[in-house]
Amino acid sequence: MSAERLARLALSRLGEPGDLRLAHWVTELGAVQFHDALRAGAELDGLNTELAARLPSVEPERDLERASRLGIRWIVPGDAEWPAALDDLEHVEPLHRMGRAPLGLWVRGPLRLHELPTPVAVVGARSATTYGTDVATELAAGLARAGSAVISGAAYGIDQAAHRGALAGDGPTVAVLACGVDRAYPSRHKPLLDHLADHGAVVSELAPGCSPTRPRFLARNRVIAALSLGTVVVEAAVRSGALNTANWASGLNRPVMGVPGPVTSAPSEGVHQLIRSGAASLVTRATEVLELTRPAGEHLVEPLRAPSRPRDLLGHDEQRVLEAVPLVRPAPPESVARTAGLGLVEVRASLVELRRRGLVEELPTGWRLADDADQG
Amino acid sequence: MFDLAIAIAVLGATGAVPTAALDGLVVIGELTLDGGLRCVPGVLPMVMAAAARGVRHVVVPEPQAHEAAMVPGVEVLGMRSLAQVVAELRDEPVPEAAPVAAMSSSRLLAWRGAGRMDEVDLADLVGMEDTRFAVEVAAAGGHHLLLSGPKGSGKTSIAERIPGLLPDLTREEALELTAVHSLAGALEPGDGLRTRPPFASPHHDASTASLVGGGSGAVRPGEISRAHCGVLLLDEFPLFRADVINALRQPLESGDISVSRAQESVVLPARSIVVLAANPCPCGDYHADASVDRCKCREVQRRDYRRKVTGPITDRIDITRHLTAARPTARRDPLAVRESSAEVRERVTVARARQADRYADEAWRLNGHAPGPALATRWPLTPAAAALVDDQLWKGRLTRRGVTRVHRLAWTVADLAGVDQPGVTEAGVALRLRSGEPLLAATLRKAAG
Repeated sequence: MSAERLARLALSRLGEPGDLRLAHWVTELGAVQFHDALRAGAELDGLNTELAARLPSVEPERDLERASRLGIRWIVPGDAEWPAALDDLEHVEPLHRMGRAPLGLWVRGPLRLHELPTPVAVVGARSATTYGTDVATELAAGLARAGSAVISGAAYGIDQAAHRGALAGDGPTVAVLACGVDRAYPSRHKPLLDHLADHGAVVSELAPGCSPTRPRFLARNRVIAALSLGTVVVEAAVRSGALNTANWASGLNRPVMGVPGPVTSAPSEGVHQLIRSGAASLVTRATEVLELTRPAGEHLVEPLRAPSRPRDLLGHDEQRVLEAVPLVRPAPPESVARTAGLGLVEVRASLVELRRRGLVEELPTGWRLADDADQG
Repeated sequence: MFDLAIAIAVLGATGAVPTAALDGLVVIGELTLDGGLRCVPGVLPMVMAAAARGVRHVVVPEPQAHEAAMVPGVEVLGMRSLAQVVAELRDEPVPEAAPVAAMSSSRLLAWRGAGRMDEVDLADLVGMEDTRFAVEVAAAGGHHLLLSGPKGSGKTSIAERIPGLLPDLTREEALELTAVHSLAGALEPGDGLRTRPPFASPHHDASTASLVGGGSGAVRPGEISRAHCGVLLLDEFPLFRADVINALRQPLESGDISVSRAQESVVLPARSIVVLAANPCPCGDYHADASVDRCKCREVQRRDYRRKVTGPITDRIDITRHLTAARPTARRDPLAVRESSAEVRERVTVARARQADRYADEAWRLNGHAPGPALATRWPLTPAAAALVDDQLWKGRLTRRGVTRVHRLAWTVADLAGVDQPGVTEAGVALRLRSGEPLLAATLRKAAG
């Protein structure tokens, strides 16, 4: 097992996250044999020439030792902590020529990744509005209170709002980075990442010390989507990376959800497109996310209904009579009957019933609506 | 007011006091039937006016000597009775006299919680980042503000913290404000110059006279003048009477208020930051979020109420913010940063210094008071930013007056950020502040340094 861990570590050091050829040869040969073959100089489709420059500098034992000094662990498939949900990535079509399950993950923090309770990804734009960050915070807090773990990145805007909501809701929360888990990127988020490392988990495919690049963010997004049972996008402009995460979730056949914003708001345009195209379900609160991510039928949300009013409970005739009773000037039952188009006997009976319900009042000159009768 | 002056003038004419002693002398005070002096309101502004005309000697009722002495370069004599004044003018030994009663003050009417202002701090409030930024901009540029939101969303709490974000008054402002308070009879003997920005929050059944000034007899400054250089909060402002609201239009634009009466017309300073707070409906429990909506108002009532919120008065408001009800989430957020009033005040002071430099040769000190034409010609936005604002005008989302307000706001946002000319970013923030749209999270991040 140790050889497998070391081989996977070394391979992850050689290539970039989401490299399809590395994943291919690991499946073909197994990580240990593949690594040995590379070291022995086997060409393997020209891979060796490409990676040769990096080969001599890779020292997996030293990496492990240094990481454990920093309180960082390296987990690989087959480990108890390895989240099985990641293996679904093996069956997903690549996006941007990246994909497959990670070779392993670096983890910092007390949370165990295989024990995350019904995790949900909450992602969105860095250039969020305060509407978006408020919604993300409330949503994550609601999910946390319902017992779900929250997964996100560590960017400004929605990502950090989601983590802070989850923390406020006393729930587990995980940040997946596109750089080493010992690095604070953006540097302003050092307090957030340190807090997560103490109370949640900070996760990355990249070894400690590695810096973030554009492709690494794209590869990272597949880990966020795969760790979660579903992905919620809160505010994403049309070119936001959060939509990439949503694509991965679609590819994984996991629910994709979008929180709508004002139709005039650019940071919501991407989400609106996602919902319009049918790729995402519209959600507005945590319970609606639970309905889609928890086992079917466990968290059904009652459709919102207008509150029932006294007049909703009236019979058909009584409603017609009530409509015919004047607002201000009292009318005799005969006049009400004419207006309602009903017989005098039914009208008299209805008027008495309506008075009992406090909807109409009788004056010496006739009937009219009671003062506090619901006008709506 | 003129009792003592008339008496001394008569005594001078009849030779009871030497006329030489009356040269360049101003006497202020009323007389009681037994010849004692009585305090009068407005000693400070009278002495200021006298000093401006070169008067160097002033006689006032004893309890008001301190007030008169605030004016630099004036020698003040505090006296208790007519006999004392006469003796003094004749250079004779001054007789004993009963002390003069301090003016029965209207202190109870003034300053709801003036002392409390020092105790409230921005650090007490959790969350509300959007509104915090808005009040910082309002404080920095002297912009009027409309806060709308359900009961308990913190409208009043944040409004009464705005004076704490303002720097100390300049000597000139302090004199103006103290003069207004003297006129209102709200100055106690022993009170020094008002050096901190005031806060006034009149109740919604206030009359026009109590709000903008007037009254029978002498003109009394209204709440808006007492809040000069500070903050005037009109809580639940749709409940104010329509004529009261309309009377606010002039001071909101010009920064002063002219009170016309039968005999006279008085112009009083009224340059405060006006904060209008409004519930979303008469009962105050309406929430856009249906899950927490507990509103009991009828749709008609809500419509009437909203009509009062959007009127000519709101077009004169620079910043609109919609607050949401406080959620427990913010209070439990372990990473929430709670800035204190002092930290924000530092940024406000720097931004105000930038404005003072820019407008050094002008009649105004703050962006919120800068006239639109001057801004348009001498301190324009960058072309791209101007195009952005213009676009909103064409789309009908902004009125002409709104364009000026956005322009002023953009300058304040730039001054807070240390930017030399408002660009697209600053104009974008200004448009959001003006329209009530939520701000970008990045804006708040930058503001917090």
